[in-house]
Amino acid sequence: MITRILAAGAIALGSLGTFTGAAIAESGHHTAAHAAKHHRHHHRSHHGIPQHTRGDKDADNNGGPSDGDGRT
Amino acid sequence: MATAGPDRRPAAASVLAAALAIAGCGSAGAPHSPGTYSWLRPAAAPAGWQVGRLPSRAAAFAYPRGWRPIRTDPGTFSAALKGRDGQILGYLNATPRSGAETLANWARFRVAHNREEGDRSVVRESAASGLRFRSGTGSCVTDRYLTSSDARYREIACIVRGAHATTVIVAAAPPADWPRLAPQLRRAVSSFS
Repeated sequence: MITRILAAGAIALGSLGTFTGAAIAESGHHTAAHAAKHHRHHHRSHHGIPQHTRGDKDADNNGGPSDGDGRT
Repeated sequence: MATAGPDRRPAAASVLAAALAIAGCGSAGAPHSPGTYSWLRPAAAPAGWQVGRLPSRAAAFAYPRGWRPIRTDPGTFSAALKGRDGQILGYLNATPRSGAETLANWARFRVAHNREEGDRSVVRESAASGLRFRSGTGSCVTDRYLTSSDARYREIACIVRGAHATTVIVAAAPPADWPRLAPQLRRAVSSFS
């Protein structure tokens, strides 16, 4: 939603050019960072063992032997 | 007599199948043959082996000299024997039951789970249920697979229901190293408690 608002602002204030573009990029980065943070929080707080490569980084997620985790 | 041959073949096949089952030649077609896991003899850690425990202290297993604890998921414990290039040659892991796996569905679940995690060419070699461990009863499956980084592993994976918790233990090694490491892997699984 924040990104959409900023994008609309960028169209309306096109003369601000690169500044607005930077603002959008930063917002997008923030959104992604927030999503990643939420992702980690979600899996650690509600499911115990983090999942996917970004979470646990254990051997089975890096091409090593599969561990005993029963969730994907 | 012309009719004797056909009558005897089914009987002979049955006798052969029974003999193979008794001998423990388990395969994907014999998912509940404890004889395949006759090596499983619950026993304490051998002298000189280290004991790795889950952080919860709910389960433990012994691992051989020269093996080291490695980074693993929170709440779990893993130990490995690494090669000079850092490749995992031998792998042991204990993880609290965390999904839909049960003692009853273990043989199917484990193989399907490995596929879901990106392993390829997953082949179930044998499975058994009603196995006795130091801390309870379990089901085991032996399978082999190719990881996303093209490393081949063979594994023994067991789920064990104890008095207070259900835990999975995995023992794995590359097929090429299996003959050398299997005795240690099986001994580690046998020490699981």
